[in-house]
Amino acid sequence: MTLSAEAEALTGEFWAAAARHELVRPVCRDCGRNFFTPQIACPQCLSENWSYERSSGRGRVYSATVVHKAATPDVPVPFRLGIVDLDEGWSMLTTFVDGPGGRLPAIGAPVEVTWVEQDGRTVPAFREIVP
Amino acid sequence: MKLQDVAIVGVGVTPQVKRSEKNSLQVALDAAKLALADAGLSHTDLDGIAARWPGPGGTELAPGSADWSTMLGVPLSWIGDSYPQGIPALVDAAGAILTGQATTILITGGQAGVLGGGKVASYTRPGNEFVAPFGAFTAAHFALVAQRHLARFPHARQGMAEIAATIRNVGSTNPDAVMYGRGPYTAEDVLAAPPVVDPFTLLDLCLASEGGAAVVVTTLERARDLRHPPVVLLGAGMEWLRQQYVDPARYEEVWSIGAKAARKAFGQAGLGPSDVDVAQLYDVNSLEVARQFEALGFCGEGEGTDFALATGIGPDGKLPTCTDGGLLSFSHIGWGAPTLKLVEAVHQVRGTAGARQIPGAEVALAAGAGSAAQYYNLALLGRAR
Repeated sequence: MTLSAEAEALTGEFWAAAARHELVRPVCRDCGRNFFTPQIACPQCLSENWSYERSSGRGRVYSATVVHKAATPDVPVPFRLGIVDLDEGWSMLTTFVDGPGGRLPAIGAPVEVTWVEQDGRTVPAFREIVP
Repeated sequence: MKLQDVAIVGVGVTPQVKRSEKNSLQVALDAAKLALADAGLSHTDLDGIAARWPGPGGTELAPGSADWSTMLGVPLSWIGDSYPQGIPALVDAAGAILTGQATTILITGGQAGVLGGGKVASYTRPGNEFVAPFGAFTAAHFALVAQRHLARFPHARQGMAEIAATIRNVGSTNPDAVMYGRGPYTAEDVLAAPPVVDPFTLLDLCLASEGGAAVVVTTLERARDLRHPPVVLLGAGMEWLRQQYVDPARYEEVWSIGAKAARKAFGQAGLGPSDVDVAQLYDVNSLEVARQFEALGFCGEGEGTDFALATGIGPDGKLPTCTDGGLLSFSHIGWGAPTLKLVEAVHQVRGTAGARQIPGAEVALAAGAGSAAQYYNLALLGRAR
């Protein structure tokens, strides 16, 4: 995916960190809010004074599903899609990979970030943590 | 003038098909001509339009409803690029009429020549960098909402299947529906259909088809001189939580979306849910139908499927729902689809729905969007008092 110059300025740092296998998210320097997706201003206090901070990459499954038929024919199915709530109080859309038995993690299951190479870019995914 | 002095006087729907030979502008124009003819009006009677502009032609600077002024060849005093169409366009048109900016407004749109190739419609899978890499698309976003609901209310799965079968069976007997003649279906058929994205099977999910839909809106005073009994806007409401399909929808936030809009609409109309005779809910999937019964105040949280089953949402039930077969079976034409809900609501209220007419339908609810879309809107339409 090619980003516009404006998008690059906003999110280039996220993808650069991803290439180093570091998950980052915007944190507002004024009110402390974690937010995602990146916006030019904090959605809590509208401050533009925020920076990308490294995440632990750990969180819990908010919702999860199995996609059996993809939106475009080139995407291999089935795959596992979901929303993860990160421990720092933000959340993101993602896919689930690996994990015990390749199963769909349950709502509330602990997960950690892992990385997949896709179309020339390193993209975050999550795997279930086995206690 | 007040809200209830705004009336829909003409409706038009082109043939709804899986894949059209025409383009989006052609079907929007076809629908517009049908709606004007239905109203007994000419395009020269128009002074306002909310239609956007799918091209070809027009300006490349900011394609929009203003481009229609060239084709219509009449001076306009109001244009509106409502997003999407359907209820938001109707509300915009009503605002224009009530503030004296226009008297007779065309709302038209649809899609054609854009589907195919085994892909879902492009508007359902934004190219956003935090969406596209994960393979998300509209039905998947709704599935992530549904999974949380079913974790709390697992019994709803069977009811979802009953709802899908009921609405699809209406479409299967409607000669104008894309899925005419397909079915009938049972709930078991829905559950056994090929899975698309859990919990939804193919038969739980709406169509992606092609065609146009249009309505003509004017003052009640002018409407009284036209062909059909005027259908007036009794009330309307809209909610916008977040841009659709980018940041994932939070179940706790979106499950009740529409509740505030419904309170506003029912308040304006001086009516309550029990006064609704036909409900043209936005049936993008089977669970959304149940969700709307909950959010709009017909029943409590987690009771939507039970309400549908106990009340009866088929043509013989107490609350006939999606009486043309809905998005599940009649048609879904992208940004034009919400206008289909208005068209069917108008037909039912004025008694021109033909073989699918619900006897005594005086108040119709029409809705657009849904939980995972993170916006919602509805309108109440009724006979002029």
